Amino acid sequence: MNWAKKQRRLGYLFILPNMLGVILFFVVPAIFSLGIMFTNYKYTSPDIEWIGLDNFNRLFHDPVFYVSLKKTALFLSAVPVSIGLAFLVALVLNRSVYVKSLLRAMFFMPYITSGVAVAFVWMLLFQPSQGPINSFLRSIGIDNPPGWMSTTTSSMYAIDIIWIWFLLGYNMIIYLAAFQEIPQEQLEAAKIDGASSWTTVWKIIFPLVSPSTFLLMITGLITSMKTFGMIEAVTQGGPGGSTTILSLFIYHNAFRYYEMGYASAISWVLFAIIFLITMIQWVGQKRWVHY
Amino acid sequence: MEIKSTKLLYTIAMLVLGLFMILPFLWMISTSFKTPNEVFQYPIQWIPQKVTFEHHLKVWTGKESFLIYYMNSLKIALICMVGATFLSALAAYGFSRIEFKGRNLLFMFYLSMMMVPPQVLFVPKFILFDKIGIYNTHWALILPGLFTIFGVFLMRQFFMSIPQEITESAFVDGAGHFRIFFQLMLPLAKPALATLAIIDFSWHWNDYENALVFLLDRNLYTVPLGMQNFILEFNIDYNGMMAATSAGIVPMLLVFLIGQKYIIQGITGSAVKG
Repeated sequence: MNWAKKQRRLGYLFILPNMLGVILFFVVPAIFSLGIMFTNYKYTSPDIEWIGLDNFNRLFHDPVFYVSLKKTALFLSAVPVSIGLAFLVALVLNRSVYVKSLLRAMFFMPYITSGVAVAFVWMLLFQPSQGPINSFLRSIGIDNPPGWMSTTTSSMYAIDIIWIWFLLGYNMIIYLAAFQEIPQEQLEAAKIDGASSWTTVWKIIFPLVSPSTFLLMITGLITSMKTFGMIEAVTQGGPGGSTTILSLFIYHNAFRYYEMGYASAISWVLFAIIFLITMIQWVGQKRWVHY
Repeated sequence: MEIKSTKLLYTIAMLVLGLFMILPFLWMISTSFKTPNEVFQYPIQWIPQKVTFEHHLKVWTGKESFLIYYMNSLKIALICMVGATFLSALAAYGFSRIEFKGRNLLFMFYLSMMMVPPQVLFVPKFILFDKIGIYNTHWALILPGLFTIFGVFLMRQFFMSIPQEITESAFVDGAGHFRIFFQLMLPLAKPALATLAIIDFSWHWNDYENALVFLLDRNLYTVPLGMQNFILEFNIDYNGMMAATSAGIVPMLLVFLIGQKYIIQGITGSAVKG
């Protein structure tokens, strides 16, 4: 065996253990799922029948699906809000402040904790009649504070607040790192030219970190599309389905009603949406991302 | 002087904002030591008048002790952490140091798998695990947990930052790839390995979704499931709820305070330079 060939074989050998796992636990299930979505497979019944595109037909006539799409969009709106806030916080932290690392840790702390646990804490903070948040709102003169997770109209906003809070630290850390890469000369040149700090931020810093903003938008939206544990733990999608985002809708179909064929079909719709969002952003980035 | 006062002003503003970020944690810990009628007292009693350990005791002793959940979570998270870190480094070495046919294509394929939502995989994995008999065992969490695409990505990023000359000269000196990997690259990659290990540990410690789908027996429950179980069972007992969430969160907060540097490096390293 010649040397180059042996090299190549070694390369495969290094990757093999990991690749076996990826094939077994990612690729094979994904292919399997592509098959199940054309069947009426129910875990509770032994009969499996090929039903073609019926699951999709059913989905597009399912009113719950459209509600969950709307709820998902409402949930996703937390992502840009969190990114915007993180940009502002990072701007200030990047200037000279005392106890910088303590501040950084304070903002980052939520991100490292379990979403389920913090959601329970927030559930109590949001408690409508006696919870500390509404007690505070009443004390400053708001007589009818929101019902937060207890009403269908406000529940998603309550979840959004938790999600903004949860993602903020991560977004901030990425911006802080991106600020480090900004060439000092550009900022100094702007200063000499007499640019105001407002102009410097919007005309220089913001465009220069746009690749990070792009990355945060993509990863933030993808993560949010996949998340459901936090919501399932505290509201189970309620009240009245008002927090049933698409990922939770899939989970309920699969493991509450055991409609596994149907759930598989919806999960690929979720994939299609994620793919579409990524592609749109990829194409759209040319208009605002500067490398 | 002016610069100093703005610096102080910014610091205070950020401290106030930062306080809002950690207020839920402070309230959680404070409430877990309160008596039931103090929970919703307003203005908030940050330091309870009569500190009680009763709720924490209930979480740790009693019929379903958190000790079981802790041992389960520790076992799963530690095995996955060690396995995934090593296997990721191994694959990342192959992707960054050895030329072979289809390497870039294969890596692109790896990355594209990150877009597949876990929901796509839950149903087939559930059926598969049920068929091979590992549903409702810790294996259902451990086996898939040994493999992480993100880990390969992160380690590859790090290996790329080590100059090729270092490994090439070792290669010319007659060291094989295995020797270079174990004796040169792994020691050099210690910070990156620590980063990945901590991040991976936190994933498994906090993982609720997989445990929810694949575990049924209460004595197999991990911390997030145990916590939910505990809370649903005693749902009127707000102090107990907060004692339970404290038990679930505090270990991660400690890991974060100790390994902060590594976590932040790992997150920025994988994102910005990518």
